[in-house]
Amino acid sequence: ILSVVAKGARQTPPGKPKVTSCRSPEKETFTCWWEVGSDGGLPTTYSLFYRKENSETLYECPDYKTAGNNTCFFNKNDTSIWVNYNITVVATNALGSNTSDPFDVDVAYIVKPHPPEKLTVAVLEDKDYPFLRVLWEPPRKADTRSGWITLIYEIRVKLEDAEEWEVHPAGQQKMFNIFSLHSGGFYMVQVRCKPDHGFWSEWSTTRSVKVPDYIHRNRSVWLL
Amino acid sequence: LCLAVSCHAIGLNELMERASQRSDKLHSLSSSLTNDLDSHFPPMGRAMMPRPNMCHTSSLQTPMDKEEALSVSENDLISLARSLLLAWNDPLSLLSSEATTLPHPSKSIISSKIQELQDYSKSLGEGLDVLVNKMGPSSQNISLMPFRGAELGQDKTSRLINFHFLMSCFRRDSHKIDNFLKVLRCRAAKMRPEMC
Repeated sequence: ILSVVAKGARQTPPGKPKVTSCRSPEKETFTCWWEVGSDGGLPTTYSLFYRKENSETLYECPDYKTAGNNTCFFNKNDTSIWVNYNITVVATNALGSNTSDPFDVDVAYIVKPHPPEKLTVAVLEDKDYPFLRVLWEPPRKADTRSGWITLIYEIRVKLEDAEEWEVHPAGQQKMFNIFSLHSGGFYMVQVRCKPDHGFWSEWSTTRSVKVPDYIHRNRSVWLL
Repeated sequence: LCLAVSCHAIGLNELMERASQRSDKLHSLSSSLTNDLDSHFPPMGRAMMPRPNMCHTSSLQTPMDKEEALSVSENDLISLARSLLLAWNDPLSLLSSEATTLPHPSKSIISSKIQELQDYSKSLGEGLDVLVNKMGPSSQNISLMPFRGAELGQDKTSRLINFHFLMSCFRRDSHKIDNFLKVLRCRAAKMRPEMC
């Protein structure tokens, strides 16, 4: 018991923090995340510092709040592309400080967009057979109009009770039709996007749609 | 290559579209090459690698964010893309000849990808020449950035590191080229905004 108490009470300088990743949703801003080490049993503060390629100036993180705990957010004015950022995080408490390994990042290689928005799924008729028309828009913040960022899309569909999603690449289109539906089936649809060179977004919110009982309707004569 | 007659038949939109398909491929290939090289890199390699501002193209002033890029004229954007591409002719040849004997377990894959890079780079260069002929004389400016490295080095480690360094420079430049051309593509396609 004595050793447990002693161990609990022993105070040390903080453990080494680690910069885990940086991501930009639209090539205009970015956020970096870090993991903390031990706090050494004392109140510990964390500061992020960075140097940009071609400059000796050491800057401190401009915004620790916007992206939550243990993050640094770089707004448009603080974000350059095709420039390396050399980033370190320093943990400090009353007994000392500890600095992370440096983390090098260029915004060009960390782009992961927000999911597409305004997903809609409608049942349309084509010569008596219904099909699904899936429409969506790029994430609001991604400026695809100017060509600054180019997004490609993927949609996935599944019958409510199915195990597996069926995935369809949609290229740069913001529309996709799905044919050969199960009569009376209840379908779930999601969409995600990826920059031409970058990471896939999360899947969007799900839209669900019920396909009418078209076989019953068309084939009722046969069945009788 | 196309005949002058048939080239005139192709609109600026279509030419931009083709150019950005090639630049897209060029950058994807360079990323994939960087990954291949990363799979086997000397332990001290990262620390010994020259800084990105040592790239032979780093003297070229290019936009550093969206706002800057979108304020550059069409003529200047295409000049930047062509200057960057041209600056890589010699280094790509060097990489191509060095790749066959690179002390790397994936040297045959690396070598064939470099070959592919050169092919895409050549075909993109020809496409951009056709484009600037259509765009007029003020799009034809070129900034020259001579490449002074005639060899990668003597020992295994420095050859690998210099190879890797050159590829990382090319990866950045091919990303710039691709981004500039895609901005141009959207400007050319403004009659069909659904394309962007």
